[in-house]
Amino acid sequence: MSNETQSAKTRWLLLSPALFILSIAAAGPLLIVLVYSFLTAGDYGGVVWDFSTDAWFNVFAEKDFFDDTIGFSDAHLSIFWRSVKLSLMTTIVALLVGFPTAYFIATRPESQRNAWMLLIMVPFWTNLLIRTFAVMEIIRNEGVINSVLIKIGLISEPIQMLYTEFAVTLGMFYVFLPLMVLPVYASMERMDFSLVEAAYDLYASRWRVLKRVIFPLVKPGVVAGSILVFIPSLGAYVTPRVLGGGKQLMLGNLIELQYGQGRNWPLGAALSITLLAIVMVALIFYVRAAGDEETSHG
Amino acid sequence: MIEIAGLSKTFGSGASAFTALKDINVTIQENEFFTLLGPSGCGKTTLLRSIAGFVDPSTGTLTINGEDILSKPPFARPVNTVFQNYALFPHMTVAENIGFGLEMQDRPKAEIKSVVGDMLELVQMTQMADRMTSQISGGQQQRVALARALAPKPEVLLLDEPLSALDFKLRKEMQIELKRLQAETGITFVFVTHDQEEALTMSDRIAVMNAGRILQIGGPKDIYDHPAERFVADFIGDTNFVDGEVKKVAGETAQVQLQSGKVIKARNVAGGATSGPVTVAVRPEHADLSAPGGLIDGTLKNIIYFGTDTHYHVQTDDGSTFVIRRQNQPDAVEAHEVGEKVGVTFNAGVAQILRD
Repeated sequence: MSNETQSAKTRWLLLSPALFILSIAAAGPLLIVLVYSFLTAGDYGGVVWDFSTDAWFNVFAEKDFFDDTIGFSDAHLSIFWRSVKLSLMTTIVALLVGFPTAYFIATRPESQRNAWMLLIMVPFWTNLLIRTFAVMEIIRNEGVINSVLIKIGLISEPIQMLYTEFAVTLGMFYVFLPLMVLPVYASMERMDFSLVEAAYDLYASRWRVLKRVIFPLVKPGVVAGSILVFIPSLGAYVTPRVLGGGKQLMLGNLIELQYGQGRNWPLGAALSITLLAIVMVALIFYVRAAGDEETSHG
Repeated sequence: MIEIAGLSKTFGSGASAFTALKDINVTIQENEFFTLLGPSGCGKTTLLRSIAGFVDPSTGTLTINGEDILSKPPFARPVNTVFQNYALFPHMTVAENIGFGLEMQDRPKAEIKSVVGDMLELVQMTQMADRMTSQISGGQQQRVALARALAPKPEVLLLDEPLSALDFKLRKEMQIELKRLQAETGITFVFVTHDQEEALTMSDRIAVMNAGRILQIGGPKDIYDHPAERFVADFIGDTNFVDGEVKKVAGETAQVQLQSGKVIKARNVAGGATSGPVTVAVRPEHADLSAPGGLIDGTLKNIIYFGTDTHYHVQTDDGSTFVIRRQNQPDAVEAHEVGEKVGVTFNAGVAQILRD
């Protein structure tokens, strides 16, 4: 046996555990979801093995209950729109807060940086549900903010913050912030800070140093952080459920509804595939836009 | 003209405080190639960074052409820096790097283009204008860093050991190149180095620094021939230290009696000893071998051939080593041999009394 075939064999052997996990945990379920989206809903959940495109039809359209006319599904569209909007908001706020935070940590003496990073990471290690309820405790009508404001006499009635889009965005921002700080910090730590000095020396004001030197150099971290925050926000389930009440549904909640109370697994499957498609399209556009800017410099 | 007076810098406070600069007083003339020379940790880079604005001095004043600059941020000072690691922007081309300073000064596009063109020509990098900085060699990066710092025509160019990353041959080339650039642009250069040879060959004046102080300021020849302190004599070139006693002082010269009993005429410096024991410095190439009965006597311990010259190590009778350097002549036959009894002589006035 030649060395080459031997090493090829070893390579497959080494890859096989990962391939096995990926095929039964990722590719397999995806395939099942795709197949289910073309089947008929069972009366008590599950699917009946009859081919149907009803589920896909119902993703964007609906038959009128009374006269069978076909129109856009306003309910679904508004949930799609809210999911994208709140995820974008979450990403932008996380970037606005995470970027200065990462810069602050990266400019501390090396011995202190790990301690600062730990402060960012500790909430991340805490249970998601507990963190979400903590946010609830702060913003609900009898919560910390409202009771303080009422006590000092600034307002007489509590401000309704819970069960609003604001609450959902705030919750997701809080939950996903470490996912922004980590990659941005990682690329900032690698950055040569003498470049910042060089730019200051060459008459660049603070703002222009940020815009012309720091930002272009840490852009890979910003791109990674934005993706890491945007994607889980889009599919978020617990946060909109707890902080949005029943009012501010997002895609994750809609999907859960179809598999649960709705007893319409094919529709749930079709919605899941649609979510996946939105993520893919957004990723392709985002990465391409980020890459284009890069090459236009060179 | 840069005027620095009473400048000090202390990092930290309390027990961990570290004084990097102590009472620095120096005036650097317009159009001068001025070098800060000293071992690592002597404060030369801290002084340079104080001028650039990256270090905030604890006390003292710093003016450029009469204008106080200590209150200004780095981007408002009429100085540019060539960094030790060049610090070229990796996301910009060679031309964009060179034009960066002008762009930040909001100069018109046409002017930027023409100045960048001139600069590329000045450092012979016109062919490389559109390369990324990662695609050019270390020597070329060095040239780009120089062009970038020179492009905005600063009053003062600060150079922080810019040649230390280059190999020997390239360094020699760049030394000449730097001198040429300084002459062509007429800009004041403040150059930091730990390489005494670099300092001697390039500078108009040198400030020798150690432990946060300037020990001596003078022209290369002045510093080399007449070091005022033991550290300066030791740091720059090779030196023989000879103990003696001052007998008489007359202006700049003094009579010093060596331990052999012979009396020599030595140069004295302002503030030097006027009586009692002193150390005098004699450069190896300023001394010569003679028959026994010279100013100092001893035994020849070693003869080392160096190509351009030969070094003779003499074990003197009082137990120290005295080195003599003789330039080699073609096909000369070595007249001395190891173990031979010899004398050491040097001319009146080449010995220099050192301040302690």
